Amino acid sequence: MEFLDLLALGFGAALTPENLAFCLLGALLGTLIGVLPGIGPTTTIAVLLPVTFFLPPLAGIIMLAGIYYGAQYGGSTTAILVNLPGEASTVVTAIDGYKMAQKGRAGAALAVAALGSFFAGTVATFGLAIAGPTLSGFALSFGPAEYVSLMIFGLLAATILARGPVLKAIGMILIGLLLGTVGTDLSTGASRMTFGAIELFDGIDFIVIAIGLFGFSEIIENLEKTGASGVKVAKITRLWPTREDFKRAWPAVLRGTGVGTFLGILPGGGATLASFSAYSLEKRVSKRPAEFGEGAVEGVAGPEAANNAGAQSSFIPLLTLGIPSNNMMAMMLSAFVIHGLTPGPQILQSQPQIFWGLVASMWIGNAMLLVINLPLIGLWVRLLTIPYRLLYPAILLFCCVGVYSLNNRIFDVALAAGFGLVGYLFRKAKCEPGPLLLGFVLGPLLETNLRRTLLISQGDASVFVERPISLTLLVATALLLLMMIVPNFRKNREEAFKGEEA
Amino acid sequence: MSGSKSSARGDRPDLLTAAIFVGVGALGLWAGRTLDFGSLASMGAGFVPTIICWLLIVVGLWVGFLGLRRAYAPIEPAKLRPILVITASIIGFAFVAAWLGFVAASLFLIVTSSIADHEVRMFETLLLAVGLSIFGALVFVVGLGVQIKLLPF
Repeated sequence: MEFLDLLALGFGAALTPENLAFCLLGALLGTLIGVLPGIGPTTTIAVLLPVTFFLPPLAGIIMLAGIYYGAQYGGSTTAILVNLPGEASTVVTAIDGYKMAQKGRAGAALAVAALGSFFAGTVATFGLAIAGPTLSGFALSFGPAEYVSLMIFGLLAATILARGPVLKAIGMILIGLLLGTVGTDLSTGASRMTFGAIELFDGIDFIVIAIGLFGFSEIIENLEKTGASGVKVAKITRLWPTREDFKRAWPAVLRGTGVGTFLGILPGGGATLASFSAYSLEKRVSKRPAEFGEGAVEGVAGPEAANNAGAQSSFIPLLTLGIPSNNMMAMMLSAFVIHGLTPGPQILQSQPQIFWGLVASMWIGNAMLLVINLPLIGLWVRLLTIPYRLLYPAILLFCCVGVYSLNNRIFDVALAAGFGLVGYLFRKAKCEPGPLLLGFVLGPLLETNLRRTLLISQGDASVFVERPISLTLLVATALLLLMMIVPNFRKNREEAFKGEEA
Repeated sequence: MSGSKSSARGDRPDLLTAAIFVGVGALGLWAGRTLDFGSLASMGAGFVPTIICWLLIVVGLWVGFLGLRRAYAPIEPAKLRPILVITASIIGFAFVAAWLGFVAASLFLIVTSSIADHEVRMFETLLLAVGLSIFGALVFVVGLGVQIKLLPF
């Protein structure tokens, strides 16, 4: 019954008034930014990262996690009511959800989405609780060679599963890796890529890059496109779904939860991929495929369950192996690092209350979201009418304070503004900045472990294929590369992401 | 940047990407030209950066090659006003914060950044600036203990 003891420890940690308050704050903020178009969870977490430095570690991490999964709830509300997906992961929800709303069944769609998300969140939380100790026990047997192979596999898989062209994503990862080398080299003491600037000797701060690439450049881009015009909000009717809705929705929720939990674990996976896959799965297994796009309740239930499950299970690789699988988890990793914590197998043993507290808070947060969302839907919808011209100065202020407070240096703010311009250029070049963050976070880890491996083996690179776990990972990497060359797979991948640009 | 519109080939965003990748790779090689490469067994500081830069150049050329063979696609036109106004107000914020403290910097940021929007509404902007500055001062400086002086004196 050790498992229950640990879960009890987690609930004990998560149920302190302070942590409960931050969990609620995270869930509220997540819902808020999920509802508001033009600001996503990546930007919000980048903005709030510096703030978490002033909070106790667990409270800060609980809040950031709450923003991530809270945004999945909030995004679905606007997707259903106004056909305006607040988040990429809710794009498919809008297809059938909005149709249901037009037919006067908005309440049922919202309730199915919220209940499905809650169920999926519960299952994924248990998945995390079970997989955590098992996987991290496995990870304890990892040496530097295994970590190198794992990171190469993870980075490559992330480019294939993430949206956008693979080559561009690989290039963005490489730029991230290069940015990660800026500063004093830990093993030789040489200063690299600093162009003689003393401010860069300690490297570039993650927050400077994240706020520049996401916060600043997003504001510039949104202003260029001039604010969204008035939105028509569908009427909310009877909230409780009919018996028929329940009968059709629950198998879809089950399938969505399964798909989401699995895809969330994979590198590059997460909420967006999960919801798209769940939608196509529902369409394929349905006996009434013609109803999809015309307001099929399964088309809301499946993806909504999947995106929530995916959002939560993407914490698994980060918390057990210490390897973030997407840019959101790269943010979470730096939230740990701010407090001097390195997620991974060690933390599970040395500070179990952090891992289990986070797991417990996720379940509590999901329960809170159910309450926040269903009765308060009217309030969230009213927020949609806030014009962007009132919103962006506030976002800008939070970004600036966050960057400035790092070291009280003008340099950091100017550098972040520079990254804002770079991020703007990336957007013009149609490059997703997400993989860059992943590369930046993993770069130093990759280099250290690569050096360590080859130092131990005295320069013999065959060590990577002699160790079985490392070999398996490298073979998997090679298979991924091969798959990309096969045209059939490429076509399927492109189809899976079709419509995401909308 | 956009080139002549009559040429029927070439995906312009892809070509821009290629230019960025090759440019960053070349810049990295130049910045790290003095770093010691070392050997596999004892890598120098330049080992990993050099490999990354070369890979980046190769990927960039590859993207460019494929982009040239694609059908013509334009880059979305840029508007200078938001770029300049937002960048200037961000950098201005840092200078004002260092010299005159948070309240002045926050007021400055919100008033200047509002110029990025087309219709400037003086009263609304001032109200927003005062409100957000008070909110920011209370939450960040008083509440969270961010180390910025509040006022110039």
